[in-house]
Amino acid sequence: MTNIVDPVEVRKTIIEILFKSKASHLGTNMSAVESLISIYSSININEILSNSINRSRVFVSKGHCSAATCSVLYHFGIIKKSDLETYHLDDSYLAGHVSHGVQGIEHSTGALGHGLSVALGCAIGMRSVNNKNLVLTLCGDGEIQEGSIWEAIMFAQHKKIQNFVIIIDNNKISSITDTHKVIDMRPIKKRFEGFGMQAFDVDGHNTEEITLAIDKIKHSKLPGVIIADTKKGKDIPFAENEPIWHYRNLDVEHYEKALHHLNSL
Amino acid sequence: MRAKIIEILFEKMKEDDKIFFLTADMGINMVEKFEEHFSNRFLNVGIAEQNLIGISAGLANMGFKPFAYTISNFAITRCLEQIRNDIVIHKYPVTIMGTSTGFDNAPLGPTHHIIDEWGTLRGIPGIDIYCPCSIQYASNILDNVIKNNSPAYIRIPKGQPNIKKSEKDLYFSKGTENEKILISYGPIGMNCLEVQKINTKINVLLLNKLHPLNSDQILNYINKFKKIWVVEDHFPQNGIFNSICEIIAKNRIVKDVKSIAPSDYTLKVGNSPNYFWSKYSLDVEGIISLIA
Repeated sequence: MTNIVDPVEVRKTIIEILFKSKASHLGTNMSAVESLISIYSSININEILSNSINRSRVFVSKGHCSAATCSVLYHFGIIKKSDLETYHLDDSYLAGHVSHGVQGIEHSTGALGHGLSVALGCAIGMRSVNNKNLVLTLCGDGEIQEGSIWEAIMFAQHKKIQNFVIIIDNNKISSITDTHKVIDMRPIKKRFEGFGMQAFDVDGHNTEEITLAIDKIKHSKLPGVIIADTKKGKDIPFAENEPIWHYRNLDVEHYEKALHHLNSL
Repeated sequence: MRAKIIEILFEKMKEDDKIFFLTADMGINMVEKFEEHFSNRFLNVGIAEQNLIGISAGLANMGFKPFAYTISNFAITRCLEQIRNDIVIHKYPVTIMGTSTGFDNAPLGPTHHIIDEWGTLRGIPGIDIYCPCSIQYASNILDNVIKNNSPAYIRIPKGQPNIKKSEKDLYFSKGTENEKILISYGPIGMNCLEVQKINTKINVLLLNKLHPLNSDQILNYINKFKKIWVVEDHFPQNGIFNSICEIIAKNRIVKDVKSIAPSDYTLKVGNSPNYFWSKYSLDVEGIISLIA
């Protein structure tokens, strides 16, 4: 599938809105860019714009990547630039965690471990009315420490829920440290396979690999998990693999460094 | 009342193909027929209550009216964040049906004494809370929640009290004097009516809808009587006692209002609710002694 949205341009947009609003979560936003582009490339955007009941559903369960989500929505023409520029600012609906107050965002998250069950409910509802559209959920590798994630996984697998795609943004850093130092679930793929799910390892910064895996699950008649191997802070050299950039906001010097690097790519 | 509500829900599902019934592996000899008749609109999600609430929210996103059934502490206190974030913030018309309330599960220990759940939920604006005091109200409750099309919790006590003309949110039984009134709900309501039979001077107000309250209507009753006792199988600090005190404070009136309610969790076993009703003066004798 051809991507009409360039990840580098999305990262520039993210840097702009994070800097303007002095917002945090830079690392997790950068790791999720290609996953989000692949998700929105896989669905009918017009049905999202018209809020059709038959639309595909996208759940950003790792709600911290709101800046990336809003930026991708903007690059796909779902939200306006004037709205995007209000990110994280007074009176805006574009919150630091994804909010359904924003067009194109299905569900408000931020408390981890919620989105997957709600997505599963949508997929079950779709099955009940014979709707064949996709339900795609983006989770974090830290988020899968939440027990509720496995409640949803067990049930989706047991019920063989079709068109149910879960992408794990495996950036390998949770909140304050390396995810494996907190709870080592490596290799993650085997964890999901142990629960009976089909699972695919992909390069999480390669949209073709991600969209191909989405397509495989779509045609498999079973739910599936894509483990997207990513780098926290991707393409922002001073933030790559640095947990502190979950919390820190950009000063002028770091903002200019980030943009300079992105412009050189 | 549980059987009545479930029976009516079954009938409603025949007429309304948007109603979806979910259970977290509860309701033996009761939920099976839902699976048989409505296989596309029935789910047993297993012992996974967070998933129960999350899936219900997703079904509501798809246009369904989910009814999620399990024991009330599992549904409410375990899943409070799922209810808050995934149902209430999204204004999804999910109805949670919680059983085994108050001291219904008396011998099963403090984890199953459900004397704190609806007050906890009351702190979240945007969800209606019901607790039928009679089979008459229980018969109408689904009409109310379906019509409102918004988040709801039905606290379903055991028993089938028969209280004529109790179909409305408030049921008032007038005494012979305008001095004392008992305000109550759920199974304790019947104890209050028994008190009234013994002491006919006493007035009784039973609430079928616990939250939000119709403050104006409640205020009318508060104003009429000098002494108020709020009698409930729930902690008073976030129960109806608190709601009544709030109405009194907001309206800047001075009233003699007292609580009769459990004060804490207890490790003591009681073979039936009567043990705890007696311990906390929620039984007929206890109420009579406190209001004398």
